[in-house]
Amino acid sequence: MAQNCNLGIRGKVIHLENNEPIESAYIWINEVERGEITDQDGNFVIRNLCPGNYTIKIQFLGHKEILDTISLNSNSFNKTYRMEEESLDLVGVEIHGHRDAVQTTTALTALYGDELLAARGENLGESLKRIAGVTTFSTGNTISKPVIHGMHSNRIMILNNGIRLEGQQWGAEHAPEIDPFLADEITVVKGAETVRYGPEAMGGVILVNPAPLATKKSRKTELNLLGGTNSKMGNISITHSGGSGKINGLGYRVQASAKRAGNVKSPDYYQDNTGMSELNFSGALGYSSTKLGVETYYSFFNTSIGILRDAHTGNLSDLEEIIQNGRPFTNADFTYEINNPKQVVSHHLAKLKSHYHLSENWKLNAQYGFQLNLREEYDRRRGDLNDKPSLDLKLYTNTFDLFVDHTHRNEFSGTWGVNLIQQANSNVPGTGVTPLIPNYDMVNVGFYLMEKYSKGPLEVEAGLRYDLRNVQTARFIQNELQEADLNYQNFSAFIGGLFQINPRLSFSSNLGSAWRPPNVNELFSQGLHHGAAAVEIGDSELNSEKSFKWVNEFEYDHNNLHLEVTGYANQINNYIYLNPTGETVVSLRGTFNVYEYLQANAFFYGFDFAGSYEFTEKISAYAKGSIIRAKNTDENNYFPFIPSDRMDWGFAYDFDSGNGKMNKVTLSNILVAQQTREPDFDIAPAPPAYALFNLAYQKQVQVHSNKLNLGIQVQNVFNTSYKEYMNRFRYFTDDMGRNILLKINYQF
Amino acid sequence: MFNSKKNLVYTMALLALSFTACESDDPVIENDGEVITDVILNFQELDATGNLVGAVTTFSASDPQGIEVGATPTIDDVTLTKGKTYQLNIEVRNSIENEDITEEILEEADEHQFFFLGTAFVGSPVLTYQYDDLSGELIGVQGIVTVAASPGFNTANMRIVLRHDLDKNFPGATNPSFENFVQAGGESDLDITFPLILN
Repeated sequence: MAQNCNLGIRGKVIHLENNEPIESAYIWINEVERGEITDQDGNFVIRNLCPGNYTIKIQFLGHKEILDTISLNSNSFNKTYRMEEESLDLVGVEIHGHRDAVQTTTALTALYGDELLAARGENLGESLKRIAGVTTFSTGNTISKPVIHGMHSNRIMILNNGIRLEGQQWGAEHAPEIDPFLADEITVVKGAETVRYGPEAMGGVILVNPAPLATKKSRKTELNLLGGTNSKMGNISITHSGGSGKINGLGYRVQASAKRAGNVKSPDYYQDNTGMSELNFSGALGYSSTKLGVETYYSFFNTSIGILRDAHTGNLSDLEEIIQNGRPFTNADFTYEINNPKQVVSHHLAKLKSHYHLSENWKLNAQYGFQLNLREEYDRRRGDLNDKPSLDLKLYTNTFDLFVDHTHRNEFSGTWGVNLIQQANSNVPGTGVTPLIPNYDMVNVGFYLMEKYSKGPLEVEAGLRYDLRNVQTARFIQNELQEADLNYQNFSAFIGGLFQINPRLSFSSNLGSAWRPPNVNELFSQGLHHGAAAVEIGDSELNSEKSFKWVNEFEYDHNNLHLEVTGYANQINNYIYLNPTGETVVSLRGTFNVYEYLQANAFFYGFDFAGSYEFTEKISAYAKGSIIRAKNTDENNYFPFIPSDRMDWGFAYDFDSGNGKMNKVTLSNILVAQQTREPDFDIAPAPPAYALFNLAYQKQVQVHSNKLNLGIQVQNVFNTSYKEYMNRFRYFTDDMGRNILLKINYQF
Repeated sequence: MFNSKKNLVYTMALLALSFTACESDDPVIENDGEVITDVILNFQELDATGNLVGAVTTFSASDPQGIEVGATPTIDDVTLTKGKTYQLNIEVRNSIENEDITEEILEEADEHQFFFLGTAFVGSPVLTYQYDDLSGELIGVQGIVTVAASPGFNTANMRIVLRHDLDKNFPGATNPSFENFVQAGGESDLDITFPLILN
């Protein structure tokens, strides 16, 4: 009888020290004299083997060769190989992929390469909309906050190069202070990651990571030039990075970007005072040897954002009039000028990070981050007050992390650490307004440990964390000093696993608990919110939110088909939300609705999908979408601002496939349903469903040894008037009309 | 090897030291400079030749705490006599800061305008208003109010709205009782309804 010779050896090659996949590692099977190269995820398959014993040789530049003798008798062979770096004294070999990406069994999706290139020029929130399950909570067309599985602001976390971004993210109109141009890759983790990252990482985590610093002599410059017809947007970014030829392992990077845009045009009119300007800068310097790695990093973000003039209403009747009108009363022209109301925000972030290899298996890491966030918000005011901000906040944050990693070949790996966050928030005096939130000092200490066990196709991980937080606040309200001293503490834990069912299909599941202490605005808000004609009242007795999120993901990859499906359920106890009391405040200024912060149990669930299929070498299609359900299970009603069902699908035609150069046109269609699950009270009903069409062309040209990427995008091709439920300015205006963008990227 | 370990310890110690805590500033009392706490209507009779006669009659609306939950403003009843013509001067004050906001309104005359509405001024009006500001601009800090000689009813609502940042050239905005004032843009700084009694 003929032997069954259609067995395969499957495997994954990763860095021993940080579990990053190794692309292009060379696999050689001595017995059959056949070889294979790992793909970008570190995976390889060698097919059509007969049962028997084989010797697998794995080689990768700068790493110790692995020789593994195996006995193959079924088709389920699958093994993870961890490659250890060789010391530097090997002539000419200097590879230190010291990139600490997330190692998690939770569903995650990353934006990089061509997709990130297509997203250039968009703010962080808009860029991330390209990931299924991520939407935005926005305030007009210039302020957008990412929403992961229906959660945003303080319920998700954003890491700027490993440091948790600490701005005033409680505010619905406070966009994350980060320049997407500094990123080489943006990763979204869709699970509860409180254990790894600390309180508040309840709905998910966004990692904005620059490219790793060079460790050998090199020079690289990347220039981006972008322009858009709508709002006459211009955007430039330049990144220069390199490695020292004199000192082995010394690398640097400098990056800067500038952006200017004027009034946004809805199909039928300009939105008055919606221009913006942005100026950002970052720099990094690092040194890496076999034992020691040190990195310093600084980033500066600075923006001025005009707020739609008509969104600043005087009282409830003003608000009702404009909602009824369906569009702004102001007939504006195009201008780049930014007047009040506006926001002027700057953010400094400095980081010092070091790691030291204690032994082959143990690594010690220390990271310190300093952040200063300055936020000024200007309203339309009388007289000299117009030149003064109504809200002027100064927030200092220090973060300190100390942790050890251990990696034992093919078995256990883990992280044990301590994390310290210290924060000081001050209202800068002279605003002429009683501060919306008090001055406060916050200290949070967390201890955590995580362990992962990997064997063949299975990875299992679990972690535990304990946090303690103290918040001290002080504020004068009508000449009376109000102080509070609040303490919170919590245990959180997670367990997760990843199973490679077969080479085409993998399954991951993660159950994590998370918590979030109430934010100062939820505790102490007291004041008028002009955009909502509302008086918002905090409650200092609020408890911490506690949640359990269960995320499951199937990933299927075979021939021309790629499919990812993520399903999740998130139970949140003591979910804090802003509830209309039904009461109004009457003043000389007019009438206002009164909102108060309440707590209830909430249940969120839903699924995301993303798939692509290649019909031929030239024609391909993709589809992605998300469905979220969120309910107040105490009151049996719905929360406001939960994204409605949506999907994005399209076709692409590749003009010259096969040569690896992009030359592709994509037609896509975005379908967004009406949010029919509305809260009991909203000042305006949810806007109707809409469909948008986008067209994009992307081409890569080789100019000697340099790369030139050209992109032309037409967004909202048919100039459709629409309103998005998740945009707070849907009360006042239509969304952005047609926008034609030209994007040039040159790498030399 | 040993040295670099030692160096690392020093680096850690240095890091720990540099982790010096920043503290928040002590809070300061912030005076709400923008709040309007008092609106005073000064009526003085005008005779047939347009001369001021008699004493000034004052009616006011006050809200000493500004916008605050649970506190409602105190608003006087406005009592006027049928058939008479009055000069109306509006005074706007911030009693917390002891500030006269009327001056600011006059300084920014191009951005401010009072509108006179409610059943007293629109529909079958019992009162008519005419801008008579000293600068000649249409502001409404000073104006002339004429009470109908035989009004259809003896009580009405007198709604006074102060708009800020409006387009004063908007068609219709020259009318002091322009019902669609919101269409001229801007926002309401004041929106008070005084009960009106006619004798």
